[in-house]
Amino acid sequence: MQEDPDEISKLLRLKRFEQPTPDYFERFLEEFKDRQRAQLLREPAWRIAWDRMWAFLGEQMRPRLGYGLASTAVLAAAAIASFNILESRSVEVASAPEQQHPAAQTASLNLNADQVQLPDLPSLTPSTAHTASLNTPRYVMDARPVSYEPPSSF
Amino acid sequence: MAEEVPVNPDIELVARTQAGDARAFDELVIKYSPRLYGLVYNMTSNHEDANDLLQEVFAKAFRSINGFRGKSSFYTWIHSIAVNMTINFLKKRGRRFQMSLDDVDLNIQNDKEFIELTATSSPVRQADLSELQQKLNESMLKLSPEHRAVVTMFDIQGMPHAEISKILGVSEGTIRSRLFYAHRQLQAHLDEFRKR
Repeated sequence: MQEDPDEISKLLRLKRFEQPTPDYFERFLEEFKDRQRAQLLREPAWRIAWDRMWAFLGEQMRPRLGYGLASTAVLAAAAIASFNILESRSVEVASAPEQQHPAAQTASLNLNADQVQLPDLPSLTPSTAHTASLNTPRYVMDARPVSYEPPSSF
Repeated sequence: MAEEVPVNPDIELVARTQAGDARAFDELVIKYSPRLYGLVYNMTSNHEDANDLLQEVFAKAFRSINGFRGKSSFYTWIHSIAVNMTINFLKKRGRRFQMSLDDVDLNIQNDKEFIELTATSSPVRQADLSELQQKLNESMLKLSPEHRAVVTMFDIQGMPHAEISKILGVSEGTIRSRLFYAHRQLQAHLDEFRKR
Protein backbone atom coordinates (compact mmCIF):
# COMPACT_ATOMS: atom_id res chain seq x y z
CA MET A 1 0.00 0.00 0.00
CA GLN A 2 1.33 3.46 -0.87
CA GLU A 3 1.78 6.15 1.78
CA ASP A 4 -0.44 9.14 1.31
CA PRO A 5 1.76 12.24 0.66
CA ASP A 6 -0.32 14.19 3.21
CA GLU A 7 0.36 11.48 5.72
CA ILE A 8 4.09 11.86 5.16
CA SER A 9 3.79 15.56 5.80
CA LYS A 10 1.82 14.85 8.98
CA LEU A 11 4.42 12.37 10.16
CA LEU A 12 7.19 14.85 9.44
CA ARG A 13 5.39 17.60 11.31
CA LEU A 14 5.56 15.42 14.42
CA LYS A 15 9.29 16.00 14.42
CA ARG A 16 8.78 19.57 15.53
CA PHE A 17 8.13 18.19 19.01
CA GLU A 18 11.68 16.92 19.22
CA GLN A 19 12.76 19.89 21.27
CA PRO A 20 14.99 20.00 24.32
CA THR A 21 13.61 21.08 27.67
CA PRO A 22 12.89 24.84 28.07
CA ASP A 23 15.80 25.41 30.46
CA TYR A 24 18.14 24.30 27.69
CA PHE A 25 17.66 27.62 25.89
CA GLU A 26 18.40 29.57 29.06
CA ARG A 27 21.65 27.67 29.44
CA PHE A 28 22.32 28.08 25.72
CA LEU A 29 22.73 31.85 25.98
CA GLU A 30 25.09 31.56 28.93
CA GLU A 31 27.12 28.96 27.09
CA PHE A 32 27.21 31.23 24.03
CA LYS A 33 28.57 34.15 26.07
CA ASP A 34 31.17 31.92 27.73
CA ARG A 35 32.31 30.59 24.38
CA GLN A 36 32.52 34.08 22.91
CA ARG A 37 34.70 35.27 25.78
CA ALA A 38 36.90 32.18 25.60
CA GLN A 39 37.27 32.61 21.85
CA LEU A 40 38.24 36.25 22.22
CA LEU A 41 40.96 35.26 24.67
CA ARG A 42 42.21 32.45 22.45
CA GLU A 43 42.23 34.23 19.10
CA PRO A 44 45.23 36.35 18.13
CA ALA A 45 44.58 40.07 17.66
CA TRP A 46 45.32 39.97 13.90
CA ARG A 47 42.62 37.32 13.45
CA ILE A 48 40.00 39.40 15.23
CA ALA A 49 41.01 42.45 13.19
CA TRP A 50 40.86 40.41 9.96
CA ASP A 51 37.38 39.06 10.80
CA ARG A 52 36.10 42.53 11.64
CA MET A 53 37.55 44.03 8.45
CA TRP A 54 36.05 41.21 6.38
CA ALA A 55 32.68 41.66 8.07
CA PHE A 56 32.90 45.43 7.58
CA LEU A 57 33.50 45.02 3.85
CA GLY A 58 30.23 43.16 3.75
CA GLU A 59 28.82 40.66 1.33
CA GLN A 60 28.28 43.27 -1.38
CA MET A 61 31.91 44.34 -1.44
CA ARG A 62 33.40 40.85 -1.38
CA PRO A 63 32.77 39.94 -5.05
CA ARG A 64 34.22 43.30 -6.17
CA LEU A 65 37.21 42.79 -3.94
CA GLY A 66 37.59 39.29 -5.35
CA TYR A 67 37.55 40.62 -8.94
CA GLY A 68 40.05 43.31 -7.98
CA LEU A 69 42.42 40.77 -6.45
CA ALA A 70 42.04 38.43 -9.44
CA SER A 71 42.73 41.29 -11.90
CA THR A 72 45.80 42.32 -9.90
CA ALA A 73 47.06 38.75 -9.91
CA VAL A 74 46.58 38.50 -13.71
CA LEU A 75 48.37 41.82 -14.28
CA ALA A 76 51.23 40.77 -12.00
CA ALA A 77 51.57 37.45 -13.84
CA ALA A 78 51.54 39.28 -17.21
CA ALA A 79 54.17 41.74 -15.98
CA ILE A 80 56.44 38.93 -14.78
CA ALA A 81 56.01 37.02 -18.04
CA SER A 82 56.76 40.09 -20.22
CA PHE A 83 59.78 40.95 -18.05
CA ASN A 84 61.14 37.43 -18.59
CA ILE A 85 60.59 37.70 -22.36
CA LEU A 86 62.34 41.08 -22.54
CA GLU A 87 65.21 39.78 -20.46
CA SER A 88 65.72 36.74 -22.70
CA ARG A 89 65.62 39.00 -25.81
CA SER A 90 68.28 41.31 -24.38
CA VAL A 91 70.48 38.27 -23.77
CA GLU A 92 69.95 37.23 -27.42
CA VAL A 93 70.82 40.73 -28.69
CA ALA A 94 73.93 40.77 -26.57
CA SER A 95 75.15 37.51 -28.06
CA ALA A 96 73.98 38.35 -31.61
CA PRO A 97 77.27 39.94 -33.05
CA GLU A 98 79.03 36.61 -32.66
CA GLN A 99 76.51 34.99 -34.98
CA GLN A 100 76.65 37.67 -37.73
CA HIS A 101 77.66 36.91 -41.31
CA PRO A 102 81.46 36.84 -41.71
CA ALA A 103 81.19 39.48 -44.41
CA ALA A 104 79.38 41.83 -42.09
CA GLN A 105 81.93 41.19 -39.38
CA THR A 106 84.81 42.23 -41.66
CA ALA A 107 82.94 45.21 -43.00
CA SER A 108 84.61 48.43 -42.08
CA LEU A 109 83.16 51.58 -43.55
CA ASN A 110 85.49 54.48 -43.58
CA LEU A 111 83.36 57.50 -44.41
CA ASN A 112 86.34 59.83 -44.51
CA ALA A 113 88.07 57.83 -47.21
CA ASP A 114 87.78 58.92 -50.87
CA GLN A 115 86.51 55.63 -51.91
CA VAL A 116 84.19 53.63 -49.84
CA GLN A 117 85.26 50.07 -49.72
CA LEU A 118 82.40 47.69 -49.70
CA PRO A 119 82.88 44.38 -48.06
CA ASP A 120 83.27 41.36 -50.20
CA LEU A 121 79.92 39.95 -51.02
CA PRO A 122 79.41 36.40 -52.16
CA SER A 123 79.59 36.29 -55.93
CA LEU A 124 76.53 35.27 -57.86
CA THR A 125 77.05 32.21 -59.99
CA PRO A 126 75.12 31.81 -63.27
CA SER A 127 73.13 29.04 -61.72
CA THR A 128 71.80 31.31 -59.04
CA ALA A 129 71.51 34.40 -61.20
CA HIS A 130 68.18 35.36 -62.65
CA THR A 131 68.45 34.20 -66.22
CA ALA A 132 64.80 33.75 -67.01
CA SER A 133 64.56 37.10 -68.80
CA LEU A 134 67.11 35.92 -71.35
CA ASN A 135 64.98 33.07 -72.55
CA THR A 136 61.67 33.18 -74.33
CA PRO A 137 58.77 32.40 -72.00
CA ARG A 138 57.40 28.96 -72.20
CA TYR A 139 53.87 28.29 -71.11
CA VAL A 140 53.20 24.87 -69.80
CA MET A 141 49.74 23.34 -69.87
CA ASP A 142 49.03 19.75 -68.86
CA ALA A 143 52.76 19.20 -68.36
CA ARG A 144 53.42 19.83 -72.05
CA PRO A 145 54.83 23.11 -73.24
CA VAL A 146 52.20 25.03 -75.20
CA SER A 147 54.80 26.14 -77.67
CA TYR A 148 55.19 22.52 -78.72
CA GLU A 149 51.54 22.35 -79.81
CA PRO A 150 50.98 22.68 -83.52
CA PRO A 151 49.30 25.96 -84.40
CA SER A 152 45.59 25.55 -84.81
CA SER A 153 44.18 26.43 -88.19
CA PHE A 154 40.59 27.47 -88.63
CA MET B 1 -2.64 60.49 6.49
CA ALA B 2 0.10 58.00 5.70
CA GLU B 3 -0.24 54.56 7.24
CA GLU B 4 2.30 53.71 9.88
CA VAL B 5 4.54 50.89 8.77
CA PRO B 6 5.19 48.49 11.64
CA VAL B 7 8.87 48.54 12.51
CA ASN B 8 10.55 45.15 12.49
CA PRO B 9 12.06 44.81 15.99
CA ASP B 10 14.95 42.82 14.51
CA ILE B 11 16.14 45.89 12.58
CA GLU B 12 16.52 47.85 15.79
CA LEU B 13 18.27 44.97 17.55
CA VAL B 14 20.66 44.55 14.61
CA ALA B 15 21.41 48.28 14.54
CA ARG B 16 22.14 48.26 18.26
CA THR B 17 24.42 45.23 17.87
CA GLN B 18 26.23 46.94 15.00
CA ALA B 19 26.71 49.94 17.28
CA GLY B 20 28.41 47.66 19.82
CA ASP B 21 25.55 46.71 22.16
CA ALA B 22 26.15 43.00 22.84
CA ARG B 23 22.93 42.74 24.88
CA ALA B 24 20.91 43.45 21.76
CA PHE B 25 22.49 40.41 20.15
CA ASP B 26 21.60 38.36 23.24
CA GLU B 27 17.96 39.22 22.57
CA LEU B 28 18.33 37.96 19.01
CA VAL B 29 19.87 34.74 20.34
CA ILE B 30 16.97 34.26 22.75
CA LYS B 31 14.45 34.95 20.00
CA TYR B 32 15.93 32.71 17.29
CA SER B 33 17.60 29.85 19.17
CA PRO B 34 14.49 27.61 19.57
CA ARG B 35 13.59 27.90 15.90
CA LEU B 36 17.15 27.52 14.65
CA TYR B 37 17.70 24.65 17.05
CA GLY B 38 14.76 22.84 15.44
CA LEU B 39 16.22 23.46 12.00
CA VAL B 40 19.74 22.27 12.87
CA TYR B 41 18.58 19.37 15.01
CA ASN B 42 16.19 18.02 12.37
CA MET B 43 18.97 18.17 9.81
CA THR B 44 21.59 16.47 12.02
CA SER B 45 19.36 14.21 14.20
CA ASN B 46 21.83 14.67 17.03
CA HIS B 47 21.41 17.01 19.99
CA GLU B 48 25.13 17.46 20.73
CA ASP B 49 25.89 18.30 17.10
CA ALA B 50 22.90 20.63 16.98
CA ASN B 51 24.07 22.42 20.13
CA ASP B 52 27.65 22.87 18.89
CA LEU B 53 26.53 23.96 15.43
CA LEU B 54 24.05 26.44 16.80
CA GLN B 55 26.75 27.99 18.98
CA GLU B 56 28.93 28.36 15.88
CA VAL B 57 26.02 29.78 13.87
CA PHE B 58 25.44 32.56 16.40
CA ALA B 59 29.18 33.18 16.76
CA LYS B 60 29.48 33.58 12.99
CA ALA B 61 26.42 35.82 12.86
CA PHE B 62 27.89 37.99 15.61
CA ARG B 63 31.22 38.30 13.79
CA SER B 64 29.53 39.11 10.47
CA ILE B 65 26.75 41.37 11.70
CA ASN B 66 28.53 44.52 10.53
CA GLY B 67 28.27 43.13 6.99
CA PHE B 68 24.50 42.75 7.31
CA ARG B 69 23.00 45.54 5.21
CA GLY B 70 19.34 44.65 5.65
CA LYS B 71 18.73 43.64 2.01
CA SER B 72 17.01 40.55 3.36
CA SER B 73 15.38 40.16 6.76
CA PHE B 74 17.53 39.12 9.71
CA TYR B 75 15.37 35.99 9.86
CA THR B 76 16.37 34.99 6.30
CA TRP B 77 19.99 35.98 6.87
CA ILE B 78 20.51 33.94 10.03
CA HIS B 79 18.58 30.99 8.63
CA SER B 80 20.83 30.92 5.57
CA ILE B 81 23.93 30.96 7.81
CA ALA B 82 22.48 28.06 9.83
CA VAL B 83 21.47 26.02 6.76
CA ASN B 84 24.78 26.51 4.96
CA MET B 85 26.85 25.68 8.04
CA THR B 86 24.75 22.57 8.72
CA ILE B 87 24.98 21.38 5.11
CA ASN B 88 28.78 21.82 5.22
CA PHE B 89 28.91 19.97 8.54
CA LEU B 90 26.82 17.08 7.19
CA LYS B 91 29.02 16.80 4.10
CA LYS B 92 32.12 16.62 6.30
CA ARG B 93 30.51 14.20 8.74
CA GLY B 94 29.42 11.84 5.99
CA ARG B 95 28.09 8.62 7.39
CA ARG B 96 29.66 8.96 10.84
CA PHE B 97 26.70 9.87 12.98
CA GLN B 98 24.82 8.75 16.01
CA MET B 99 21.22 9.59 16.54
CA SER B 100 20.30 10.96 19.92
CA LEU B 101 16.72 10.82 21.01
CA ASP B 102 17.09 11.84 24.60
CA ASP B 103 15.53 15.09 25.83
CA VAL B 104 12.66 14.62 23.41
CA ASP B 105 9.62 16.59 24.43
CA LEU B 106 7.00 14.02 25.30
CA ASN B 107 4.21 16.57 24.85
CA ILE B 108 3.88 14.97 21.43
CA GLN B 109 1.38 12.55 23.00
CA ASN B 110 -1.01 15.43 23.61
CA ASP B 111 -0.73 16.79 20.10
CA LYS B 112 -3.98 16.77 18.12
CA GLU B 113 -2.30 15.70 14.92
CA PHE B 114 -0.43 12.90 16.65
CA ILE B 115 -3.58 11.56 18.29
CA GLU B 116 -5.45 11.74 15.01
CA LEU B 117 -2.65 10.00 13.16
CA THR B 118 -2.23 7.19 15.65
CA ALA B 119 -5.99 6.66 15.78
CA THR B 120 -6.51 6.42 12.03
CA SER B 121 -3.37 4.69 10.87
CA SER B 122 -3.12 1.16 12.13
CA PRO B 123 0.59 0.48 11.42
CA VAL B 124 1.49 3.71 13.16
CA ARG B 125 -0.82 2.86 16.08
CA GLN B 126 1.07 -0.36 16.55
CA ALA B 127 4.39 1.37 16.68
CA ASP B 128 5.35 3.06 19.88
CA LEU B 129 6.39 6.68 20.01
CA SER B 130 10.14 6.18 20.08
CA GLU B 131 10.02 3.69 17.22
CA LEU B 132 8.03 6.10 15.11
CA GLN B 133 10.43 8.94 15.84
CA GLN B 134 13.41 6.72 15.16
CA LYS B 135 11.95 5.65 11.84
CA LEU B 136 11.34 9.25 10.85
CA ASN B 137 14.89 10.20 11.76
CA GLU B 138 16.32 7.25 9.88
CA SER B 139 14.29 8.17 6.82
CA MET B 140 15.46 11.76 7.04
CA LEU B 141 19.10 10.74 7.32
CA LYS B 142 18.84 8.84 4.06
CA LEU B 143 18.14 12.10 2.23
CA SER B 144 20.95 14.29 0.93
CA PRO B 145 21.75 17.37 3.09
CA GLU B 146 20.11 19.68 0.52
CA HIS B 147 16.90 17.62 0.41
CA ARG B 148 16.89 17.30 4.19
CA ALA B 149 17.13 21.07 4.51
CA VAL B 150 14.10 21.60 2.27
CA VAL B 151 12.01 18.95 4.05
CA THR B 152 12.96 20.36 7.46
CA MET B 153 12.01 23.90 6.53
CA PHE B 154 8.82 23.04 4.62
CA ASP B 155 7.35 20.00 6.33
CA ILE B 156 8.64 20.35 9.87
CA GLN B 157 8.93 24.10 10.31
CA GLY B 158 6.10 25.04 7.96
CA MET B 159 7.96 27.71 5.98
CA PRO B 160 6.52 28.79 2.61
CA HIS B 161 8.36 27.95 -0.63
CA ALA B 162 9.24 31.61 -1.23
CA GLU B 163 11.01 31.95 2.12
CA ILE B 164 12.94 28.69 1.62
CA SER B 165 14.05 29.81 -1.84
CA LYS B 166 15.40 33.08 -0.35
CA ILE B 167 17.25 31.22 2.39
CA LEU B 168 18.81 28.70 0.05
CA GLY B 169 19.30 31.14 -2.83
CA VAL B 170 17.60 28.87 -5.37
CA SER B 171 14.36 29.20 -7.34
CA GLU B 172 10.98 28.14 -6.00
CA GLY B 173 10.85 25.57 -8.79
CA THR B 174 14.00 23.96 -7.43
CA ILE B 175 12.46 23.88 -3.96
CA ARG B 176 9.31 22.18 -5.29
CA SER B 177 11.35 19.66 -7.24
CA ARG B 178 13.56 18.86 -4.22
CA LEU B 179 10.46 18.41 -2.08
CA PHE B 180 8.86 16.10 -4.62
CA TYR B 181 11.98 13.95 -4.82
CA ALA B 182 12.46 13.92 -1.02
CA HIS B 183 8.82 12.94 -0.38
CA ARG B 184 9.12 10.13 -2.89
CA GLN B 185 12.23 8.83 -1.12
CA LEU B 186 10.66 9.16 2.32
CA GLN B 187 7.55 7.40 1.07
CA ALA B 188 9.67 4.44 -0.03
CA HIS B 189 11.37 4.22 3.39
CA LEU B 190 8.12 4.50 5.31
CA ASP B 191 6.50 1.87 3.09
CA GLU B 192 9.21 -0.54 4.24
CA PHE B 193 8.28 0.32 7.82
CA ARG B 194 4.61 -0.39 7.13
CA LYS B 195 5.36 -3.81 5.67
CA ARG B 196 7.09 -4.93 8.88
